[in-house]
Amino acid sequence: MTNKILEFIANETNGKCYQSFRYCADDEIRMPTLDYEDKGNEFSLIKNSCGETDTSLKTIKSIKETAKKVINNDPLFHFFLDGSRRTYKVDDIEINRNVYPVIAGQIGVACCQRQSPDQFKCAEFERYFVLSLPRAANPNIGDAKLFFNNLKDKVNKLSILEKRKIHFEKILSYDSKKHEDGTKYEHLGIATIQDEMIEAEKKIVASLYDKGLINANKYLIKDGSLQYKPMKTGDFKELIKIKNHYKSVIGVSKMFNPELCRDKDGKSNADKIAELKLFHRTPAYKYKSEMVGNVHFAIWYVRIREKEHSASPFAGVLKIEKILITDDEIENGVESSEVDLITANIINERNPVCYGKDDRWANHLYPIYLTETFIKSKYLSDINFLNLF
Amino acid sequence: MKKIGKIIATEKAPTTVDEFFFWTDKKQIIKPFDVVKVTHLNDSVTFGVVEEISHLTDGASFLAGFISSDFGEVDSKSYTNRIGMNYIKARVVGNTKNIYTPVLDGAIVTLADSNDVTKALGLENIKNPLPCGIIEMYEGEDKIKVPVNFNSHFLIGPEGAHLNISGISGLASKTSYAMFLLKNIQERYLKKVKDESVAFVFLNVKGRDLLAIDESNEELPENDKKMYKDLGLEIKPFDNVKYFYPYSKDIKSTTYADINDVKNQQELRKAFQYKYLFEDDKDSLDLLFANIDDPTQTMESIVSYITSEEGTFNGITNWEDLKEEIKKYQEKGDTRKDKTISVLSWRKFYRLFRKSLERNLFFSNSLKRDGSEVRLRESIKQIQKNNIFVIDIAKLDEEAQGFVFGDVMRAIYDLKLGQIEREDSEIPSKIIIFIDELNKYGSKDVPKNSPILRQLLDITERGRSLGIILFAAEQFKSDIHDRVKGNCATHAFGRTNVIEVSKSDFQYMPSVYKSMLTRLEQGEYILQNPIFRSPLNIKFPRPLYKQFKNG
Repeated sequence: MTNKILEFIANETNGKCYQSFRYCADDEIRMPTLDYEDKGNEFSLIKNSCGETDTSLKTIKSIKETAKKVINNDPLFHFFLDGSRRTYKVDDIEINRNVYPVIAGQIGVACCQRQSPDQFKCAEFERYFVLSLPRAANPNIGDAKLFFNNLKDKVNKLSILEKRKIHFEKILSYDSKKHEDGTKYEHLGIATIQDEMIEAEKKIVASLYDKGLINANKYLIKDGSLQYKPMKTGDFKELIKIKNHYKSVIGVSKMFNPELCRDKDGKSNADKIAELKLFHRTPAYKYKSEMVGNVHFAIWYVRIREKEHSASPFAGVLKIEKILITDDEIENGVESSEVDLITANIINERNPVCYGKDDRWANHLYPIYLTETFIKSKYLSDINFLNLF
Repeated sequence: MKKIGKIIATEKAPTTVDEFFFWTDKKQIIKPFDVVKVTHLNDSVTFGVVEEISHLTDGASFLAGFISSDFGEVDSKSYTNRIGMNYIKARVVGNTKNIYTPVLDGAIVTLADSNDVTKALGLENIKNPLPCGIIEMYEGEDKIKVPVNFNSHFLIGPEGAHLNISGISGLASKTSYAMFLLKNIQERYLKKVKDESVAFVFLNVKGRDLLAIDESNEELPENDKKMYKDLGLEIKPFDNVKYFYPYSKDIKSTTYADINDVKNQQELRKAFQYKYLFEDDKDSLDLLFANIDDPTQTMESIVSYITSEEGTFNGITNWEDLKEEIKKYQEKGDTRKDKTISVLSWRKFYRLFRKSLERNLFFSNSLKRDGSEVRLRESIKQIQKNNIFVIDIAKLDEEAQGFVFGDVMRAIYDLKLGQIEREDSEIPSKIIIFIDELNKYGSKDVPKNSPILRQLLDITERGRSLGIILFAAEQFKSDIHDRVKGNCATHAFGRTNVIEVSKSDFQYMPSVYKSMLTRLEQGEYILQNPIFRSPLNIKFPRPLYKQFKNG
């Protein structure tokens, strides 16, 4: 029996490996949708409705004084969650005269806890390896899930992996039908890995919630948007559960699509956000996810750094999202005082900065940056990983 | 023991046979010279001595720090402090199973206990132990104290000999450290060593430093007493001490000692005044001109002319006559046919000689018969086992100090070379000389033909086998003649200054040790001895003998 992963997979899937050049796909294949952490088409503003209780707030509001007041208190945010994945195109495989890419990935998700200004510890961490194959790789009609699961078990028994004590957690599958809109298979493969990472993030939030670690006094910041795709399953029970888990969670996006910024009348307010004064926030707007009718979000923006020091008009502005949980919240939005408190705490998280280490420093929150660095430090090096194949 | 970190081996800073790096919490207090333990292969333990400590954060530049304070707001606060750690460079000093493969990345680093420290530094089972100080390690509740012993065979022979102490005046307490060691040597030889014997000759060059070393220090703090106890030493000043003061009628014009103290000592038959008599001591005349630059060797010729009683120098019996005779020469020159020495040289010689003769009252014609006046040479010839001779030269001028020191060295040399009629078994097998301000006699600037320098070189190069041991101190080691310091087996470094540590003598030291040298406290030394695996940072207690506040 062959000891090479790709050869083995080719055998099992009746395919043929090309032994093409292996590379880290993150640098090579830019997925346009990844540039911004929010996805416009799946998400829409609820016009003429506020995301917060104070409906009188029309323009912007200074949070400077609140931030000053709370700086001496225990910070609101204790947990910082980030997920990251590194994807690789490891080969091309020919199946039934079609050539598909084989995508592999390392997924790392971590939540760090700030116990004191000097104590920053990992609270939860998961790292695992996955493969993504075209759905056509399943030679038999039938349960694809079962096939890929079996294939995974067999792959993990290969001595090249056993020797290194490495195993793949899952073999994912991407849609292998031809796409009219020109979406590349690579993108589809990477998207499955991205979804898997989001799944892992959700698991960690659930675990922290179950342990009673996150609560009204100990919030969690998740890096990026909270607009999870799996919510589109529409499973009502799951939804309730997720909503509960996210009571004390906010999503903070460093990058957002200014085209999608709308005021409550639905007009673009990208210019207003660009002009946002230091330590000011916009009113919270109410959005809802298109996929599932009843997941509502309050979304607002805050500037944490002077415009004059940042590279672009949106550098220094963060987009904050909070899921509206109770019926009251869905109806009237988040308590404005809570929005202010969250914003004030975000402002107070502005220092230290990762200037010189990350180009996005003006939009980065240091604890999130640390969590991201922690995850990256846990990855297998690219050379090491690619040479498994 | 307390775990403090883990080994880091990176591409740029790999662990090697000689050194390793590890991280610790930024608040872990540790200092250079502290010993750490690392778990290693085959259940062995590798010991390392901390050399350098660095604090590191993820800040990419100074600017990142500035920006992190809201672009220069000193009062800005933040919820998170920048992530940071300390990383420490340590030098490998040993492994319990002699495994010198580099320690591995991720290996646990712990603090050591006193047994470990003893083992790590090669201080266990030391033969012929002689206490030389206490090592203090770590801080707070982790603090440990480890007594340190020299192997006396490596300090005062036969394996290695001579000690050099350097450090700036006052802050380094060089004399105190030398006396601490010498006291321990005396105690050891009085109590424990039977097959060998030792005697001491100390030159007092500063104030009243060594003029009451057999009187106890009533103000010795309890802490210091405890240190003596921890080292297993008696709290008792020196024994068998004799003091030698330069002669003057009123005593006080040639010594800084209190006249009453001297008289008391005289009554107890332990103080004497020394004199130089022409007929017995004229051979030492060359020593009087040791520091005079004499490239053409005319001074040397004159001295040998006089001592070999050539010309009209035959039959002279006292210093005054000698002066008169030289005076004649400088007036008319050598009247004989052989005119190798010019009148000018005679004049120079006369000038210098007359100055010395008039200033130094110890050039004399005779000794009192009651025994209160002595010749140093004669006394040294009779030195007994465990005797300590303190020779006061503090108030003499520089030439006279050199003259006495040179003469003392010669006397000891003669004694040990068997030039004197004494039973071999009666002569102490080792004689230890202590001299401060060695730079006056053994510096690089001393004329090469200086008889004192020659004598010093003789002692440092051949003294070990003869049993003549030199304990010398100076402010700046870099000033000292290479062959004098190069032959010292033991070096003690006290506090010094930055200019000194930039000299080549300190080139081999890691930079942290160098800067530590500039910060050492009084009573703290860095020791180097062939039996120690690495330099040691030790502390020692204050002296046991009477201290004069104003010198």
